[in-house]
Amino acid sequence: MAEAMAPATRELSLQQALNLALSELLAEDPKVLVFGEDVGALGGVFRVTDGLAAKHGSERVFDTPLAESSILGLAIGLAMAGFRPVPEVQFDGFAYPAMSQIVTQLGRMHYRSRGALRMPVTLRVPSFGGIRAPENHGESLEAVFAHVPGLKVACPADPQQAYTLLKAAVRSDDPVIFMEPKSRYWQKGAVVTESADWAGARVARVGRHLTLVAWGAMVARCLQVAELATEDGVDVEVVDLRWLKPIDTESLAASVGKTRRAVVVHEAPLTAGLGAEVAQRITERCFGTLRAPVERVTGFDVPYPSGDLEDEYIPSIDRILFGIQRVLEYRRG
Amino acid sequence: MAEIPFPLPDLGEGLIEATVLEWLVAEGDQVERNQPLVEVETAKSALELPSPQAGRVLKVYGAPGEVIPVGDPLIVFEVPDDAAGIVGTVPADGAPTRRVRLSANLDDD
Amino acid sequence: MAMTTGRHTGAAAHHTVEGTDPGLNVVTAVPESPAALPPVLLIHGFASSVELNWDKSGWIQALLEAGRRVIAVDLPGHGASSAPEDVDSYTPSRIRADLLQIASDAGARPIADGHPDSGLDVVGYSLGSRLAWEFGATQPSLVRRLVLGGPSSRDPLAEFDLVAAQRFLADGTPIEDPSTATLVSMAQASPGSDMYALLSLVEGVKEEPYDPGEAVPRQPVLMVAGERDERVATIERLRELVPHAEVLILPGRTHVNAVTARAFKHAAIEFLAQS
Repeated sequence: MAEAMAPATRELSLQQALNLALSELLAEDPKVLVFGEDVGALGGVFRVTDGLAAKHGSERVFDTPLAESSILGLAIGLAMAGFRPVPEVQFDGFAYPAMSQIVTQLGRMHYRSRGALRMPVTLRVPSFGGIRAPENHGESLEAVFAHVPGLKVACPADPQQAYTLLKAAVRSDDPVIFMEPKSRYWQKGAVVTESADWAGARVARVGRHLTLVAWGAMVARCLQVAELATEDGVDVEVVDLRWLKPIDTESLAASVGKTRRAVVVHEAPLTAGLGAEVAQRITERCFGTLRAPVERVTGFDVPYPSGDLEDEYIPSIDRILFGIQRVLEYRRG
Repeated sequence: MAEIPFPLPDLGEGLIEATVLEWLVAEGDQVERNQPLVEVETAKSALELPSPQAGRVLKVYGAPGEVIPVGDPLIVFEVPDDAAGIVGTVPADGAPTRRVRLSANLDDD
Repeated sequence: MAMTTGRHTGAAAHHTVEGTDPGLNVVTAVPESPAALPPVLLIHGFASSVELNWDKSGWIQALLEAGRRVIAVDLPGHGASSAPEDVDSYTPSRIRADLLQIASDAGARPIADGHPDSGLDVVGYSLGSRLAWEFGATQPSLVRRLVLGGPSSRDPLAEFDLVAAQRFLADGTPIEDPSTATLVSMAQASPGSDMYALLSLVEGVKEEPYDPGEAVPRQPVLMVAGERDERVATIERLRELVPHAEVLILPGRTHVNAVTARAFKHAAIEFLAQS
């Protein structure tokens, strides 16, 4: 109703952008179903599904028991029966109980059935830290998901990306893990509805001297770092990876081929993190032109800390600046 | 502002309804999380229901003596749109600060 | 709510009465800003528990907000306490002895001049009021003030038809005595109740029937009951024994739902704040 007459651009918070995208998806395809813990009557603990049950019916937007493995099992069964499920696990840490379903069923069904069964499931996972949450409410699982064959992984950085990527994810016939940066839910921004720019990475800021690669909430922090770096005469390009699998290697190579320096930033722990994959892809494509090894600025190899300690864990502006400085100082021995 | 309804929760032991004894908050009140909202009596005992969240009480359902089935509306809260979820806090959006400065010789670029 | 085992920061002292551990579940809670007043011992009713009678009803939170330390005990066969086989563990005298030991282990000390936090205030409900009455009467040097909720001068459990209850539980034979039938259905409705432990308690109570005149508390007493509590009329008999007692009748409330009443909590907290 209002959506059809709506202007093409509107100012929305990230959670409102997701809400709008879900509402439009529910309206355009009767096979779309939205479910999870508290997504129905309550409208989601982060208000992302607010009003959707009332608008689209409680048989299409509904609450499930507190049982993540069952939520995923339900989604997989519905997908096999021709539906387009959009389940939610309420917090990243609650994806662990669903891991068996995600790895052994969701990621493999298309392969196992020799292409007969598609899995058009988009699993929404409020992810990462930054909101002073307790244990199991601030995990960064992108490397875990990206390592599972058969899954795609998307991660929006701002309201526009949230709207655009969620639409692309739900319309995809492949299973997508959709990682929502919960510390950015309240961030407002201009959203162009039906933006066609959904594929691959995007250059969030053009620069000449060094490429910062990030995703989720770290994109906004890298943009702040880039502005501060200009005060020191350093012109930083920021690449928002957007799709953590498949990774858009071409865009990475194009950016770093130009800047010749790269720093990857993520909240997840360092070891076997997605930063290593990004660094290797850049190295494979840009080895000849790189002025320094690709630097990684990440969380530490410890469980995600609760409360105020997260400020020490999540890459800070200063830690990212240090990473940039290490790259700038590097001289071949 | 967003409206968040709170239906009568499952009180356990297979109970399907509760009788309102006395409201401890009124419409318009600002309540904190875990603040007692209402006294109810079930077939098994009387108890106080703590508030699941902070917010302003927009509407309460059920006068003293009225029976409310589990799952039916009990109370509606009004919360600011940028209120946090049930877990965590909304991050402050302050101006970025720094201590580290960059120094580089980019002349050869 | 900060939970500790008493005023000491070290491990809780744990003693037994006559060498047998009754296995009673003790819940203690310490307020953020303690008042200079003694701890409050809470004794719940038949077929209830600390959780039902004092926690979910809002009593513990209200007492903590009033700055009171709380000691609450699940009676034997109730809540998270163990349910011994022998009837002796359920006699009121044994329970009173265990409560005394628990209160002492939790930091309660005899009333001493110049120490406003010495002594022990006691709040009981229903069967807990009977126990509190006797406890106060027999421990004048420890118990400072008494609040008796839903009290009765007679003991419904003493008139309980144990044989009829056992027959009913064995093969469903209906119970003729209405009071016995009510108590059995109350017990069956009690979440996680151990019916045989509850019957043992009834047996223990029958061995030592309640006679309020036998030992009369000399402390200040507040009696509170619902207007529609079928036992409310017997309060007058108790008042003959304790003429100094204050009485509060809660309009519209029954024996079950008087427990949560704000007026009850406010009156009790105000009464127990007096020196």
